[in-house]
Amino acid sequence: MQSPIEDLLRELAPQVLGALVRRSGQFNDSEDAVQEALVAAARQWPREGTPDNPRSWLLTVASRRLTDQLRSETARRRREETVAVLELPVQGDASAQDDTLTLLFLCCHPSLSPPSQLALTLRAVGGLTTAEIARAFLVPEATMAQRISRAKERIRSAGATFAMPPASERHERLRVVLHVLYLVFNEGYTTSSGSELNRADLTTEAIRLARMLHQLVPEEGEVAGLLALMLLTDARRAARSTADGWIVPLDEQRRELWNSDQIHEGVALLTQTLGKVPVGPYQLQAAIAAIHDEAPTAGDTDWPQILALYEVLERVTPSPVVTLNRAVAIAMVNGPLAGLAVLGTLDGDERMAHNHRLEAVRAHLLERAGELAAARDSYRKAARMTASIPEQRYLALKAANLA
Amino acid sequence: MKYMIMTFGSAEAGLAAMGREWMLEMVQFMLKLDKDLRGSGELVDEHGLADGSQAKTVRFQNGIPVPTDGPFAESKESLVGYWIVDVENEERAIEIASRIVAFVKNPIEVRRVMDAPPDF
Repeated sequence: MQSPIEDLLRELAPQVLGALVRRSGQFNDSEDAVQEALVAAARQWPREGTPDNPRSWLLTVASRRLTDQLRSETARRRREETVAVLELPVQGDASAQDDTLTLLFLCCHPSLSPPSQLALTLRAVGGLTTAEIARAFLVPEATMAQRISRAKERIRSAGATFAMPPASERHERLRVVLHVLYLVFNEGYTTSSGSELNRADLTTEAIRLARMLHQLVPEEGEVAGLLALMLLTDARRAARSTADGWIVPLDEQRRELWNSDQIHEGVALLTQTLGKVPVGPYQLQAAIAAIHDEAPTAGDTDWPQILALYEVLERVTPSPVVTLNRAVAIAMVNGPLAGLAVLGTLDGDERMAHNHRLEAVRAHLLERAGELAAARDSYRKAARMTASIPEQRYLALKAANLA
Repeated sequence: MKYMIMTFGSAEAGLAAMGREWMLEMVQFMLKLDKDLRGSGELVDEHGLADGSQAKTVRFQNGIPVPTDGPFAESKESLVGYWIVDVENEERAIEIASRIVAFVKNPIEVRRVMDAPPDF
């Protein structure tokens, strides 16, 4: 799918950017310069061969671009000093890992909105070009370029520095980073709108970044949990839709299409993590995904265990979406009427008023309870509410099946 | 020249009237149309819109913008989706629209997108 050169460039991108920011003290201009160096490398290396030291090649080219940029902008603030600083020697490789982590924290700065955090992370840490990011999010390139440039401006005006957050903020900042990676994954896995069910490039990138983060902070249980959750969910990708784009629900999927390597890796990660560190929501969701993935058939699924995990998840992070999932598990353990009773507790919840999943789950449980007319109405209502074309088709077909 | 080809309807009526077979055929039809328009290099953009029941209309009332539920048009039918195509001439845009009308049986609006160079 991707060439070895592209893989190498993406791996090196945050390291080179980190080194350049350290030398220049300028994030915004360095980020542009590294992007230009990456584009130049992608053009030259396939033709002329990969240089012996790719990292220093990129750093040299990016430094030169940055110097040119700063020189050409007359009356630019502290111009002379910056150019002088640029001539300082590169710091040792030992900091490359820390720099990547620092960059992730910077791109997921709390002053930015999630769409800006996503875009900036993919560009500065992921090494994707603006055009690639624009394509993945289905927006024009100029729009994405503007979003990234405004994000960088905002980071600057928030007074952020290129340094690890203080220990007291680290936990909260890491939570934001994980949420950004989770959103990148979700954007790829279930496109929130549009006609294509998954955009594999974004899920692959999210997994790559989560894997990288896990290597940087192996002691963080939630990082391992998120990586496991992504692997265990993405493992079902090939089975979750047909060639025509129809959704295949979990219990009807051909399990031989699931990716067993990813399942093994995800389960191994969880085994290493669970019980050794404080349990968090990503580990719990990964544990639930693992139970699904390890069942040889849908009928073998250990629903009582899944229900128990949802009960813990609801205590750790209460939300109507978790309650909705718990209702499904209860229905599988105690029957559809028990599930419907739990759904009833969500009816007045403003946060679910525009969420089609509540109605879709209700439709499903009503169908299982034999209330076919009510089920059909709920499927139709859910179909009207969703903004996803594959989901709308799936729900409309379920309604038509009951007509 | 660019044309916007717009379909109107309501999910409520559609969901009640259409059976399983029609739905399956409709998806096949849309996939084929998409493939053909991409293949011919005429497709600029296309989007389905979430149902009109989810829409909001913002009106200027008593000197301030006021959002209300529902689409702008008073009728039950509202914009369902659109294609923007870049085609040789109006005949070709109408040909594409006709192909859709023959299948969905609902009227389709074909509008020129204003992108002509100035006359001077």
